[in-house]
Amino acid sequence: MKKVLSLVLALVMLFSFAVVTGCGGNSDSSEDDFLVGAIYINGKNDTAGYTFAHHNGITKAMEQLGMDVSKQLKIVDNVPEDDAQVTNAINTLASQGCKIIIGISFGYINAMEAAAEKYPEIIFSHATGYLSNDKNFNNYFGRIYQARYLAGIAAGKKSLALGNNNIGYVAAYGTEYAETCSGINAFALGVQAINPDAKVHVMKLNAWANESLERQFAEQLITQYGCGVIAQHCDSAQPQIAAQDKGVFGCGYNSDMTSQAANAHLTAPIWNWDVYYKLAIETAKNDPDNFMTKVGIYYGGLKEGFVDISPLTNNCEEGTKEIIDAVKAMMVSGEWDVFTNVKLSIAADGTITKVDGAMLDNKGGEVISADNTYYVYADGALKAVDGGAAAQDGVIKGSMNWYVAGVEEK
Amino acid sequence: MTKSSKEPLIRVVKRQGIKTWQICLLYLGAVILALGIGAVLLLFLKANPFEYYEMMFTLNTVGNKMAYIQYETYIQELVPLLITSLALSLAFKMRFWNIGGEGQFFLGALAGAAVAFMIPTSANVFLTIFLMVVAGSLVGGLIGLSTAALKVKFNTNETLFTLMINYIALYIMRFFGETKADWNIFLRPDSERPKFNQIPDNAKMFTIPIGKFSLELSFILVILLVAVVYFYLKHTKQGYEIAVVGDSINTARYAGMKVNKVICRTMFMSAALIGAAGALRVSSVYALSDTISNDVGWTGIVVAWLAKLNPIGIVIVSALITILQCGSVVASSNFSNVDSHFADLLQGIILFVVLAADFFIRFKIVFRKKNTEKQSKEANV
Amino acid sequence: MDNNIYAIELENITKTFGSVVANKNINLNVKQGEILALLGENGSGKTTLMNMISGIYKPDSGSVKVNGVPVSINSPEDSKKYGIGMVHQHFKLVDVFSAADNIWMGTEGTGLLLKKDRYERISEISNKFGFDFNPRKIVANMSVSEKQTLEILRVLYYGAKIIILDEPTAVLTVQEIRKLFDVLRRMKAEGHSIIIITHKLNEVMEISDRVTILRKGEYIDTVNTSETNEQKLTDLMVGHKVNLNIARVETTFDRPLLEIRDLSINNDEGSKAIDSVNFYIRGGEILGVAGIAGCGQKELCEAIAGLRKVEGGQIIHKGDNIVGLPPKAIIEKGIAMSFIPEDRLGMGLAPSLSITDNMMLKNYNKGKSILVDRDSARVKAQEIIDKLGVVTPSTETPVRRLSGGNVQKVLVGREIDAGPNVIITAYPVRGLDINSSYAIYDILNDQKKMGVGILFVGEDLDVMLALCDKIMVLCHGKLMGVVHAHKTSKEELGLMMTGAKDISLINGKVAGIAKDSRIEETKEAEVE
Repeated sequence: MKKVLSLVLALVMLFSFAVVTGCGGNSDSSEDDFLVGAIYINGKNDTAGYTFAHHNGITKAMEQLGMDVSKQLKIVDNVPEDDAQVTNAINTLASQGCKIIIGISFGYINAMEAAAEKYPEIIFSHATGYLSNDKNFNNYFGRIYQARYLAGIAAGKKSLALGNNNIGYVAAYGTEYAETCSGINAFALGVQAINPDAKVHVMKLNAWANESLERQFAEQLITQYGCGVIAQHCDSAQPQIAAQDKGVFGCGYNSDMTSQAANAHLTAPIWNWDVYYKLAIETAKNDPDNFMTKVGIYYGGLKEGFVDISPLTNNCEEGTKEIIDAVKAMMVSGEWDVFTNVKLSIAADGTITKVDGAMLDNKGGEVISADNTYYVYADGALKAVDGGAAAQDGVIKGSMNWYVAGVEEK
Repeated sequence: MTKSSKEPLIRVVKRQGIKTWQICLLYLGAVILALGIGAVLLLFLKANPFEYYEMMFTLNTVGNKMAYIQYETYIQELVPLLITSLALSLAFKMRFWNIGGEGQFFLGALAGAAVAFMIPTSANVFLTIFLMVVAGSLVGGLIGLSTAALKVKFNTNETLFTLMINYIALYIMRFFGETKADWNIFLRPDSERPKFNQIPDNAKMFTIPIGKFSLELSFILVILLVAVVYFYLKHTKQGYEIAVVGDSINTARYAGMKVNKVICRTMFMSAALIGAAGALRVSSVYALSDTISNDVGWTGIVVAWLAKLNPIGIVIVSALITILQCGSVVASSNFSNVDSHFADLLQGIILFVVLAADFFIRFKIVFRKKNTEKQSKEANV
Repeated sequence: MDNNIYAIELENITKTFGSVVANKNINLNVKQGEILALLGENGSGKTTLMNMISGIYKPDSGSVKVNGVPVSINSPEDSKKYGIGMVHQHFKLVDVFSAADNIWMGTEGTGLLLKKDRYERISEISNKFGFDFNPRKIVANMSVSEKQTLEILRVLYYGAKIIILDEPTAVLTVQEIRKLFDVLRRMKAEGHSIIIITHKLNEVMEISDRVTILRKGEYIDTVNTSETNEQKLTDLMVGHKVNLNIARVETTFDRPLLEIRDLSINNDEGSKAIDSVNFYIRGGEILGVAGIAGCGQKELCEAIAGLRKVEGGQIIHKGDNIVGLPPKAIIEKGIAMSFIPEDRLGMGLAPSLSITDNMMLKNYNKGKSILVDRDSARVKAQEIIDKLGVVTPSTETPVRRLSGGNVQKVLVGREIDAGPNVIITAYPVRGLDINSSYAIYDILNDQKKMGVGILFVGEDLDVMLALCDKIMVLCHGKLMGVVHAHKTSKEELGLMMTGAKDISLINGKVAGIAKDSRIEETKEAEVE
């Protein structure tokens, strides 16, 4: 019994010590002590991929704002989408004194929602999510589908030149996630604008990243389905490397993958995360009370420069750049957008014509009607989505679950 | 003339009569050695080892106004590890190799979450948590009981069985986490992507505020549990039975013990406690996930063995390992060059060296003595 | 070359384990063609000494000379190289291999393939030393004596000239011992040097040329066998005079306490271990069970204690059939079983637990409380430590740390303390020194005086003849007969043990069976 008592005593002592030291602290404040916290799904020292893109964006934004990244940025990396571990990471960052906490993965949503309530003085900004509050919790994402459409044009042009109508697409997921689904559709629409006969073959990893499978699927698409261009929605450059090894072409994602596959890469839809992070960090630092009115739910596109494509490489067919620039200008100006009742048709000489009409999915269902109403599948049947532009963005971001005609999932 | 072979340069000899202070010194030496290795690696990463270690061991709480958050996190992490290690020690004491802690934890967590989602939100928080723990321990316990029953009935290998159930449980958890359907009460109904839902407020862990700091109810429970397990093993008839069965099954039979019953009962308890830990974890972190166990089923094995299955030792070892785990996160978050994988590596090095020290506590290395060398030279002449 | 050169010569060998001195300044030497007996009580350091010769341990100081040349033996391989071979008490054989393969396994330079001539080469050696041995036989099918022969053959095959035998006779029958001794003599004639470790003085007198005596790790003396006798050796060994005679206590016998009728039991492999055996034990009587190791003694003990399934027959205790009762109920009836297996700890004790905890083993469950009563167990432990002279640092020392004799004292002490009316005890003095053995005999005699019925499964026929009232002999699970100890001889027992003499039937009727009137014949019939 003595042992038990001494144990309990020891624990109480340890504990009270902890509380005392916790309360008696003093933190010296320098002139700029604004701390940014970030939670990454992969390693902060990655040299490519999703986490790298975000990390790059945050550091770039902070440098533009004149902040010292090594002192003012606190990162917990390799955090899986587990509420406990995310909460843990948030707590760690909160305890270090971070004033804005950025979570880059969808699965952080629960923990960030709860933390926003627990720490009202900290701003929480969540990429790819759909939750927010009106004080200190927003979400942000971009119209990456616009960039994918442009990449699709480059791929389509290439397929015409190759005389090969098969285009491969290594996707993390398929219709389960609107993010991947809308990306596949936008890409396919871009391809079809210039090569109406092209087919997009999709193989899905059922994971956001799986390097070996990414390569394996790309190889399979090339050898088994005869694809001449490989596009991707996954983390690593493996599909591009596989394309180069097999002598075909490809469109990367997230970052300019030209350096990994110089002979294959055409262009990649990329994110300029720094565009958002500059806005978010600046607002959080200077005007935190109005964060939700100034930044709010962010859905930037080509117009804001938030998404773009990497510079076209010499692998691209001649004339690609002109067409892409023209289409990009249409989207920047708001004259035209991808998921509408208007399709673009691009002739061999680069002439762009608009074609009105409903958008059909690969089962023949009308998914965007002639009057520009969106439909999504619910219980096996297409259901109209009403609620205007915001709801339509909601479909692209969160509920699109169909493939446009010409997409085949393997 | 016969050729004399040289005595080997190094021999391993069983150590006799080692003193407690020597053991402490060896462990301390091991930790210092491990930190030394880590320091070299840190220097390669251009991080200051002293600053890094200071942050790691203090959880960067010294002089930090927000330190209380770290203590909350610390306790949140400590509780499941402590319960699991204690539970595993029950089975290990009986030489029943329950390496299914992970699976029992997952299934306990699922059961606890099921209660949390099904019980009316008007239910009292204590009642809800109590029912969650009951459900978690029942499910965990029954899984444990089934492996024990198979063992005593068909002499199956419990190591393989519990191990396999780990994976089954993990995939059951993933199934619930990735299957969007109306019946799936565990997911957020508002999310298009499948995502585990947060448990209702009345299922969230009750906390006792001490200033800014809030103490989890589960911490008090686990301290009570340590005392109960200690007392159970040391002073009860059932605890005695566990010790005898673990030591010699033949002797236990000879003494008239119902060995099968003891095995089943103990394994039920062991797995039930782990299941309860899973349910408490859900209540504490508010949601399920397929990494909710935080590997306690594995780490618990290390803790139980390092602590030599002694409940007091388990408290100390799990407290230290949790400092290592939490401290690693804190320290690496403050060093831009040090990512969490490196922090894990460092943790691994420390654990590895400490386990190696365990070897040196039981054995010593003897070098060839000078005079015997001379002797054998003479013999060679 | 000097005639005084010894095959092996140890000088001032000292070996300590921590604070314990296992060997202190030991001198020992063996000439070529000589048999040296190494005599000493348990814990006198014989095995440690031999382990140093065979390279398992290394002496702290002192020198070893082989054929007059100083050597350093650092490993069993070295020892093999110097021509030293050891036949261990516990055989180190692979059960599923043939005899020849067991020998070949350890041979250097055999390459990856088994050579075809291995059987012939082994037969050759076997014939040379007069073994009757089939090199193709699988070890699992061998008798104990065959296994031992194989071990000896193995060291001979390796070319050992110095052969150490650790208690080789412990597992053999009288006839087999004689055969072994013939082989040893032949080896001696071939110029081999033999060191034989044994407890049995008559064997020392019979086989050895000289005797080296150790006591408590110290060298006592080396004497020529021809110039000594058993009494003198005992004195040297134990340091003071011990009465070699075990007093057989005379008691008035009671009615049968335990009756065994047509008992059949299977062993672990499912074959008959005990085959239709009948006998009884009365209160105040010691019934010895003699037999070669492994002829059903263990199964018999386990069946009586309720630990093994009974295939047929009855076990009647005070008129009640106890077949099928759980072990706990049998303990409660006052039947105590103490079986000392070869490792001493396998049954009856929990080795990692303290003496105190082992005291509670059989009665921990008494009373309604959920707690164990460790305090009274501690008192009991202290009592037994005091009464039986158990050498231990405290009552809380794990049993595993005690030496063999002390472990047995703890076990027997606990069994007797429970106040049983029947004691089943198997090999209670196995591995014990003389003093400890006598302490155990005294305990058993005391119990006998108190009217307890004792089944004594023993190994040493001399002891059984002196201690027991009657001796029943088992051979391959069959009862060979029950004889009065004072009317029989070792030779007769030996013949019965090997199955050469069967007196279980007298005039066609089962002999030596008493019926308990309270069990009716009809009941017996039902069991069939």
